[in-house]
Amino acid sequence: MNGADETIIAEATDWHLASARDDMDWDGFTRWLEADVRHRTAYDEIVLADAALAEHGAMAAMQPAAANDDTIGYADDEAVAAPDSIAWHRWGGLAIAASLALVLALPWIGPGGPTTYATEAASRAIALQDGSQIVLAPHSRLEIADGERRIALSGAAWFDISHRPSRNLAITAGDLELRDIGTRFDVQETGGQVRVAVAEGHVRVASAAFDRPIDLSGGRGLTYDPRGGAVTVRDVRSEDAGAWRSGRLTYDAAPLVLVAADLARYTGVQVVVDKTLQDRMFSGTLIVGNGEAALRDLAQLMGLGLVGSNGAYRVTAQPG
Amino acid sequence: MGREDGEAGGGLAATLAAHRGELLRFLAARCGDAAEAEDLIQDLWFKAGAQPATPVANPRAYLFRMANNLVLDQRRARRRAMARDRGWLEADGIPAHAVQDRADPAEPTDEALAREQEAALVRQAIADLPPGARRALEMFRIEGRSHAEIAQELGISRSGVEKNLARAMKMLRAALADCGFFGPAASPRQARPDGTMPGTEDGP
Repeated sequence: MNGADETIIAEATDWHLASARDDMDWDGFTRWLEADVRHRTAYDEIVLADAALAEHGAMAAMQPAAANDDTIGYADDEAVAAPDSIAWHRWGGLAIAASLALVLALPWIGPGGPTTYATEAASRAIALQDGSQIVLAPHSRLEIADGERRIALSGAAWFDISHRPSRNLAITAGDLELRDIGTRFDVQETGGQVRVAVAEGHVRVASAAFDRPIDLSGGRGLTYDPRGGAVTVRDVRSEDAGAWRSGRLTYDAAPLVLVAADLARYTGVQVVVDKTLQDRMFSGTLIVGNGEAALRDLAQLMGLGLVGSNGAYRVTAQPG
Repeated sequence: MGREDGEAGGGLAATLAAHRGELLRFLAARCGDAAEAEDLIQDLWFKAGAQPATPVANPRAYLFRMANNLVLDQRRARRRAMARDRGWLEADGIPAHAVQDRADPAEPTDEALAREQEAALVRQAIADLPPGARRALEMFRIEGRSHAEIAQELGISRSGVEKNLARAMKMLRAALADCGFFGPAASPRQARPDGTMPGTEDGP
């Protein structure tokens, strides 16, 4: 790597960080890209590295969290620690001290307007202050309000919520409201259709569309369709709940249109399903690392055709 | 996909119509391919039309950001297909996204395995960063903290946060480049002689 490349990569990084800000100079960025073909390659690498961090770092963060708590408890006991973790201690200890200050400061800052998270191509981990974890799927949106007592989801998310009987947490998705939560579960909302799958623990699902709330325990799930308010409760395999986090989608008699919408969410491809296929159902597992490969698998498994290219496809009745 | 340009979609579609030229120029510069830029601007029409009608403070910047994200989505899919099919691609020279031409469905275990390997590689690269850089990146990208929060937690200035993040991202890029994450031909000095990138197809 020579000096010119270093400069280009530094510039690419600055543009990438600036692109998240409201005052980003998009015209200046265009001119920078046009100035040298190496600029866009450097920029590609920076945004791909960042996207990889957001995607795989989210999963990694689930494990180090526990190790972290350990080290913080023994902040002065450095004799047994490897050099790496000593450095990590100091950062961890500092982080905890500062975040305590942050918790205390919050009510002072104000009554706490809602915090909104919106994802694009990559999923994102969100930590609640009580230690609960949420992984927000790509192309999804989550609003946390009322001192972390109300959460509104559009799109999909995996929840790992620590149980606290005293808390009154409600999660809304479409017409449904989830309460009485102390568990690990997955929620997928697509255009008002909602799927809930409980891996472990317990969730109570209520809706104006139901006569009475539905209780789901580990290994159970439900599907709700706002058209007619139809709800189906069924068994789910616990390991399939939230398996999109490792790139796997499993269906049991799901409408093809819903499967296509999922592929669009998780892989960013555009998919249109022919009108004549609206009633077709799909059962099976898709691997979504690559949207085009997953679509091709889907079409082949169902004996359907696939036309299109460059991220925009149509599923047709004629096998390709 | 059958959308009537400029009709539905309200404010964003009107903004897109007004700035189509600049957005197209941006996309062409970002992709390095005019035909690809045309395809992406169609996707942008589609997405802008599908947005709920919430007011956006700066619709022009919003559209540029959407366009930038469309390219990112595409690059990610392309890189992943390239990583998976590298041997196969180099043998046959067929673009990764000519899906209809491919006879066999992807082997799910291979796909899952490739993804696992990629995740392991990325996690290792993150783990190998200096603790300060790693912590700044985690707070920013994984925990979604604001610059102000990061500054407070690390005890540095706000401009220091930006510098820290930039340094950490450059390190991560370098670590990933070193283990071949971007593919064999993706470093800045190694575009192909015809100027295309691997997996790129010129127009219809």
